[in-house]
Amino acid sequence: MAENIFENLRLIGPELCLVFVLLGLFLSDAIFPSTKKNWFPMILTAVGCLVGAVLTCKLHTGEPTRFFADTVASDGFAAFFRYLFFFTAVVGLYIAYGSKEIKKDERMDFALLLVCVTFGMNLTAIASHLLVLYLGIETISIVSFVMAGFRRNSLKSNEASFKYLIFGALSSGIMLYGLSLLYGFTGSLYYHEIGAFLASRSGDVPVLLNVAMVMIYAGLAFKISAFPMHFWTPDVYEGAPTPVATFFSVGPKAAGFAALMRITLDLFAFKFGEGQWQAVEGVGLVQSLAILAAVTMTVGNLSAIGQNNVKRMLAYSSIAHVGYLLMGLVSLNSFGIEAVLFYFIAYCTMNLGAFWVVSTVKDMTGEESIEAFRGLGWTMPVLGVCMAVFLFSLAGIPLFSGFVGKFLLFGAVVKTPGFLWLALVGIINSVVSLFYYVKILKSMWLDKPDTHTNEAALVLPTGHSIGLVALAVPTVVLGLFFGPALVFIRQVMATFLN
Amino acid sequence: MLSWITFFPLIAMAVILLLPRNRPELVKWTAVVGATVPLILGVFLFFSFDRSSSAIQFAERASWIAPFNIEYYMGIDGLSVPMVLLTVMLSLICVVASWNIKTGVKGYFAMFMMLETSMLGVFCALDFFLFFVFWEAMLLPMYFLIGIWGGANKVYAAIKFFLYTLAGSVLMLLAMVGFYFYGGETFDLIKLAATSPFAGQSISLFGWSFAMDKLFWLGLFIGFAIKVPVWPFHTWLPWAHVEAPTAVSVILAGVLLKMGTYGILRMNYGILPEATIWAANGMMILGVINILYGAFCALAQTDLKKLVAYSSVSHMGYVLLGMASFTTAGLNGAVLQMFNHGISSAMLFLLVGVIYDRAHHRWIVKPDGSRGFGGIAAVVPVYTGVFAVALFSALGLPGLNGFISEALVFLGAFSVPKYQGYVIVGSIGIVLGAAYLLWMFMRVFLGPLNEEYKDLQDMTWREKGCLAPLLILCVVLGVYPKPVLDLMGQTVAKLLTLFS
Repeated sequence: MAENIFENLRLIGPELCLVFVLLGLFLSDAIFPSTKKNWFPMILTAVGCLVGAVLTCKLHTGEPTRFFADTVASDGFAAFFRYLFFFTAVVGLYIAYGSKEIKKDERMDFALLLVCVTFGMNLTAIASHLLVLYLGIETISIVSFVMAGFRRNSLKSNEASFKYLIFGALSSGIMLYGLSLLYGFTGSLYYHEIGAFLASRSGDVPVLLNVAMVMIYAGLAFKISAFPMHFWTPDVYEGAPTPVATFFSVGPKAAGFAALMRITLDLFAFKFGEGQWQAVEGVGLVQSLAILAAVTMTVGNLSAIGQNNVKRMLAYSSIAHVGYLLMGLVSLNSFGIEAVLFYFIAYCTMNLGAFWVVSTVKDMTGEESIEAFRGLGWTMPVLGVCMAVFLFSLAGIPLFSGFVGKFLLFGAVVKTPGFLWLALVGIINSVVSLFYYVKILKSMWLDKPDTHTNEAALVLPTGHSIGLVALAVPTVVLGLFFGPALVFIRQVMATFLN
Repeated sequence: MLSWITFFPLIAMAVILLLPRNRPELVKWTAVVGATVPLILGVFLFFSFDRSSSAIQFAERASWIAPFNIEYYMGIDGLSVPMVLLTVMLSLICVVASWNIKTGVKGYFAMFMMLETSMLGVFCALDFFLFFVFWEAMLLPMYFLIGIWGGANKVYAAIKFFLYTLAGSVLMLLAMVGFYFYGGETFDLIKLAATSPFAGQSISLFGWSFAMDKLFWLGLFIGFAIKVPVWPFHTWLPWAHVEAPTAVSVILAGVLLKMGTYGILRMNYGILPEATIWAANGMMILGVINILYGAFCALAQTDLKKLVAYSSVSHMGYVLLGMASFTTAGLNGAVLQMFNHGISSAMLFLLVGVIYDRAHHRWIVKPDGSRGFGGIAAVVPVYTGVFAVALFSALGLPGLNGFISEALVFLGAFSVPKYQGYVIVGSIGIVLGAAYLLWMFMRVFLGPLNEEYKDLQDMTWREKGCLAPLLILCVVLGVYPKPVLDLMGQTVAKLLTLFS
């Protein structure tokens, strides 16, 4: 098969862009040491991501295709996640710039790692070959271990890094074993070939295939922190510097989810109509996903209730949100997938925002406990109002994008015959989640401020105000006028490569 | 027109947020303007509403979110007009009654304006999605109004209110989603009511198969019942009502509770009539329990505000009773009772607020057993007089508004032979109502004067101004309820055709 190398390079353009940013950062670090501390890494990354987004924009309207010997895919789905990752990377770096936890002379290192992870995330989302997928996931994981231990002198940060490493190594081992089993059975590592092979067997599959599936999902569950591979999440988020946790809670999670969706729809299910998939016979795919979703959200929410450390609480809340997201997959139709994609748009702004507020409060008070938030709504109204928006949105209250996301996800489940129970579990969870989100708001608005805290220290820097408002505005706008976003997502899904 | 009524307070809210923090007077006057304009428009609505038609009037519709056929669809019929009028009237009164708010004036009035918009939105919205957005949007200001400006246990009360209501509304959300997917991909309530597409369909849950319309009916009913509140979902109410600041209690009792019964009439009755007939007996029983349970609880209270709060539970029971009878008199009585209870409970809460501002407590009997108040009729005659009218209106004295609606409700329910037993039991509630209200009146206003309160000030002009319009309505509607009954007559008649 003769391939046009230039055409391939054009299709991989957004990722190349990240590679150039990486090289640029390396070189400038070596040649101009002064760029370590200033805004150069931020600007270079932002420009790189912008160029990457523009390149993506040119791709996502084109024909969906596989390239580089069919190992990677270029379709609307990939484009969607590329946008999401570029956005997350820029916001993540901006948050790190405003945080005291990332020292000035470490900014270059931070930017390097962040761009590296972003590259891995892109690779994960566009992979259509199991080894490329594994490569992408490992790129994310290995760099993430370093990021979690970014504060070299902090015991907690080291502990977080080490826990992450051990857990990560274990789960990627499990996943790799699952991949090898799958290869042994199907004789291929290409998504489309495996999918076609499994669909053609019409139920004649060995039990071992179920084992392989569970193992692969276990590896991905680690990345998206779904039950029972979620145990690392709160510890790592707590120990890692808050900007890192902020980034972890959105970026790698979305990447893992992108891979999960591709694997589910390409490998273990096949298309049998416009916007409809059917699970391969002989694997208990849909039931497993439904139970996984129900357990994940319940465990996440129930664990969050008891937390006093806000970062840990939000870590558990992010686990719960993975549970909601998994509901969208259960339906195995384009409606559910679109709901997941929309939820990611919403989740991206509201969760980044909420974590950012925690990061800001930690910088100002040195604490992450709920008590540290006391009365902050009154001393810093912008912070307080934005946090209220983010938390209400996370809780799924109308007016905010989180509600629309939940509305779509519940819709997908209600529409699927036989899964009304999952929707019921979901709504009970929403009510439970409100309880702990409101605990933070109660502390911010209903409690009196500490008298002994230094009033002068409690002034929100302008950069933070602008950033927080910039995340809060889409959270509200998408909650009230989500039509255009839905149209966009439908366009994206129309070119899903299958 | 309806958009202006609904969103004008939101404009006022935006203005309030832009005003400087050190000008509280300016903030308050802006809020007055924000509440007055909807009232003026509401009066216009009252006169231009076509009473001979049961159709949707003043409709405004535009596509909102096209991929889901979600529309911005506002319109009113005979069910919503009385509620809109009640809301615009009570809102202005409450803004004036909040004049002595000291802390966070800007925040308070901004929240209040948002609350008014969402309440009016609920009554005007005819698209389920829009309705739901307004319904939930109400929770946010309510949470902060109770939680920040409330009494001693405000935090607990606020979260309890929030969680209860949310639990109800997520059930409603499921029903809404179900309506959309199984009812022809529309959120248009009028269209859904015209087609009633759910009868005969079934849906499986935990492996069992359920009749779809009954399941949806239950989901919606629980969602609304929490708001009404119907026993056993009422436990948030005493907390929220008692801890909320006066004006918010008035809104809670006067408007928010009616949203529950309004929702039942609009959704459960309008869209799922078969399931409603199936559930009528249960609603009747719940209504009777509400009446008696609320009354017994009120009888035991030593806190004035709590007593009034439980009386609300009892009075909303009458609404249920009338609704479940499916008779012209009963249903008219129920809607009228919604309106009348809005007036009388608002008066009672305002009056409790008046005395709380002066005495800083509301005990009928203090926790240590000593007298809270006593014999204050001698020092505050005007206050006593107004209180007496409100109280007699609440217990249904002929000549005042409460009598008409309660009489209609009982008349309607009694005319159905199989409900006569319930009605007889329920009518004990009237006696109990008279008992707890009169006993309270006796202990607070009559008897020898408690010397502590010999310097109690009578009502100020502002307070009199707040109560005067309600007082006049109490008397006028007691003698001549036709203006309100005419508003809803045609719509109620049309609704009843579903059940004959």
